[in-house]
Amino acid sequence: MSALAEPNGAPIVDPRARRRRLLRRRFLRRPMAVGGLVVVLVFVVMAIFAPWLAPFDPSATDFNATLAHGSARHLLGTDEFGRDQLSRLIWGARASMQVGFLSTLLGMGIAVPLGMVAGYYRGWIDTVIARVTDVLLSFPFLILAVGLAAILGASLLNATLALGISAVPAFIRIARGETLALREEDYIPAAVVNGANDATIIFKHILPNMTNTLLVQATVTIPGAIVGEAVLSFLGLGVQPPKPSWGTMLQDAQQYLAQAPRMAVYPGLAIVFAALAFNVLGDGLRDILDPRTTR
Amino acid sequence: MPAPLLEVADLSVRFDTDDGPVHAVDRMSFTLGQGEVLGIVGESGCGKSVTCMSLVRLLPETATVSGRVVFDGRDLLALPPRQLRRVRGREISYVFQEPMTSLNPVFTVGHQVGEVLRRHLGLSRSAARARAIELLRLVRIPAADRRLDEYPHQLSGGMRQRVMIAIALACDPKVLVADEPTTALDVTIQAGILDLMRDIRERLGTAIILITHNLGVVADVADRVLVMYAGRKAEEAPVAELFAHPQHPYTIGLLGAIPRPYEGEGTRARLQEIPGRVPSLHELPQACAFADRCPRADERTRSEIPPLREVRPHHLVACFHPGEDGA
Amino acid sequence: MSDAPALEVVELVKHFRVGGRLTGGKSVVHAVDGVSFTLRRGEMLGLVGESGSGKTTVANCVLRLVEPTSGTIRLNGVDITHLSRRQMRPLRRDLHMVFQDPYSSLNPRMTCGDIVGEPLRLHGLARGRATAAPVDAIFDAVGLRRELRFRYPHELSGGQRQRVGLARSLIVNPSVLVADEPVSALDVSVQASILNLLRDLQRDMGFSCLFITHDLATVEFLCDRVAVMYLGQVVETATRAELFREPQHPYTQALLSAAVVPDPSVQRARSRIVLEGDLPSPLEPPPGCRFHTRCPLHEQSAPLSDEQDPPLREFTPGHLVACHLVDRGRPAPRLVEKTADLVRNV
Repeated sequence: MSALAEPNGAPIVDPRARRRRLLRRRFLRRPMAVGGLVVVLVFVVMAIFAPWLAPFDPSATDFNATLAHGSARHLLGTDEFGRDQLSRLIWGARASMQVGFLSTLLGMGIAVPLGMVAGYYRGWIDTVIARVTDVLLSFPFLILAVGLAAILGASLLNATLALGISAVPAFIRIARGETLALREEDYIPAAVVNGANDATIIFKHILPNMTNTLLVQATVTIPGAIVGEAVLSFLGLGVQPPKPSWGTMLQDAQQYLAQAPRMAVYPGLAIVFAALAFNVLGDGLRDILDPRTTR
Repeated sequence: MPAPLLEVADLSVRFDTDDGPVHAVDRMSFTLGQGEVLGIVGESGCGKSVTCMSLVRLLPETATVSGRVVFDGRDLLALPPRQLRRVRGREISYVFQEPMTSLNPVFTVGHQVGEVLRRHLGLSRSAARARAIELLRLVRIPAADRRLDEYPHQLSGGMRQRVMIAIALACDPKVLVADEPTTALDVTIQAGILDLMRDIRERLGTAIILITHNLGVVADVADRVLVMYAGRKAEEAPVAELFAHPQHPYTIGLLGAIPRPYEGEGTRARLQEIPGRVPSLHELPQACAFADRCPRADERTRSEIPPLREVRPHHLVACFHPGEDGA
Repeated sequence: MSDAPALEVVELVKHFRVGGRLTGGKSVVHAVDGVSFTLRRGEMLGLVGESGSGKTTVANCVLRLVEPTSGTIRLNGVDITHLSRRQMRPLRRDLHMVFQDPYSSLNPRMTCGDIVGEPLRLHGLARGRATAAPVDAIFDAVGLRRELRFRYPHELSGGQRQRVGLARSLIVNPSVLVADEPVSALDVSVQASILNLLRDLQRDMGFSCLFITHDLATVEFLCDRVAVMYLGQVVETATRAELFREPQHPYTQALLSAAVVPDPSVQRARSRIVLEGDLPSPLEPPPGCRFHTRCPLHEQSAPLSDEQDPPLREFTPGHLVACHLVDRGRPAPRLVEKTADLVRNV
């Protein structure tokens, strides 16, 4: 038996800790991405702790103080029913974050297995899935979402479903593309030779290697869903009044645009910042996770 | 003794990476004479490619190059960019390992060869075409006039490499730097390319720097050989001398690692292995870089960098215990 | 255990269709066109060829990663040519592969211990903590420190990764190992350790090995018998000693003469056979003898070689050659003055 001992290599360092440090260093070198993360966290905290952060009940009306300007009591003013804008904004964040995250998860849950099956098996199933995806991709995301929401009926849940399903084609394309690339790696035939069945190969060998790409795509899909929720609610297809949502706030603001433009500005800015923050974070993540990045 | 064509003195290259500085090359010095073929041999990470790319400053921004590269009386490392561009491709030209990625797939062979001629020598289109045919014939591409109108993907790997060599020779350079020119090619094709290199040296008098990890290639073509390890020069000698009397334990190890034909009976000996790994190039050890893996290591090799000394005529070694007997 | 040879390949053919049906693509790549050889028990057979020879396709067929177009493959006497995936699975315990690329052959998301232990789990031999002992044992056998079980592939060097690949393929003690260029992507000094290791393991564990490579020196070091391939066919088969001493087929002779020897006095004194022309495309292999377009002996073999494909015939017992100019008792013309020119004892 060969008695070759492996000679002294590098000192033993926990691989995961080292990688985490590397990623953290890279992340900190990108102030935009850091800024994005901070803003995202602000909104997420807002969403989770809405009941404790909001100074007022968002549905509480006060007909003595309708359309009030910002004051010490109502920091961002009130709307036509005297409801505190700040509280509505904070609760609106909850709706937006919920829809944003849940619909993306839903979309991924449907699309990733479909994409992997298409990319792995090829043949007729790939042709069917790929062509249907192509057709769906030719519809702009919002058009699809609005159409679906109209069919499903107006509610927060249905908005989530509609947005989730609309996100499916893009995720299928990503998952399929990654699968096509990954199956060329030698460890796939190695798994076949090991005696692995298809399910093992797909879920144990292919899926874990596409998580980076999926994560980045998710951080870019979420802002789309946030804007989508706002649009749906604005059109009356999402959150129903009096429940607060940035979209319904915009709808309310329509009539009072001349008198109190701030009613539109605050939710508008919230949407912009939330979407921008996720996008910037996603960009940064894609950059730092890329093995070819040198900085 | 005529003056050397190229004189590299104390060349050092440092890369700034995510994990800190990497000292790819540490104070390399060597010369190249007129019409000489110098083989630079080493395994991956030894710095041979970096050394040669740095001669005409082909390295990316993250590289810091220091030292002197004197060519034709001028220090290339200090030359202003416009003058350097006149040297690159014209007086010192390069051939790389992967001909498919070096050639532009959307232009014909003739266009690419001609482009060099038009840009550097200012030839007219028809003159460039005539000269291109001449060059393709020089590198022994059959049916040269028809090849001119073909695209790179229509040619085999060996043909593409010949086209690359033709482009490199277009302006009659004094030095041709070939970085692993045959590594990606089949053995039978490699034989042809090596013949071609010998031919070029004899007919055109071009000096060649041949970078490779393959000692057989070097034995075939080179006049002098330089062995690199961990960014430093380990040994340098005329080719016959190096193979017949290797001095540095690393060279001896490399030669012993190659399977040789065996016609005896009974079990044959194992190939010689070099235990350990190439040291990390992050910190420059103030010791012999090979010490950790060397059977002759002792206190001295672990605390001092061995200087380059001439131990046999024209034969330099950077070792405190040079000598032919293996381990 | 039966007396059947470990692996028997008979008239293996694999054609790939290129070009989609919609674009009218009817081009066929003749990757493998009638390859036959036998791998005996405990033997190391070298399959030598350059690019386009079809050797990797042969490996993929033998491992049933693809299904052959025609022909027969028998593993330990069992015909595996057209078995389904499910039928193949239990047989895979006896057949494994080492890949060329140490970087892409290991799943970057799994620890080395998991990678090596996976065959045990998949074949139901051990799971969970019970995999620890066999994994440790095989790590010792391939010369890896046991702690490396917990590391990820990207933290290991190329040579260490290749050892992990070997460990993975040998942990279930297969009777046949296919090694597809296992050292080509490694540095010279690392190649030596892996070649030594492979030789030792084969001797100790007794598996039969199909060693695929383009490097004749490695074949000469490791293999008992050699088969030379050109453009999808086997052109010569012989024992190692015979092949290197008395190569018959002009392609084998050219291949041997092209290999560079690390000794300038020998290398520069050798005469070299340089083959003219390019490798023909496997989409349109030349009619007759596939080598005739580049054969230095073409004048002598024409016109027969332009029309007829020479069969693999016995030259001497155990030495088969596919050449019109070679027959029992009639050797091929020498392309270089002395046979000793081709390979010299250094």
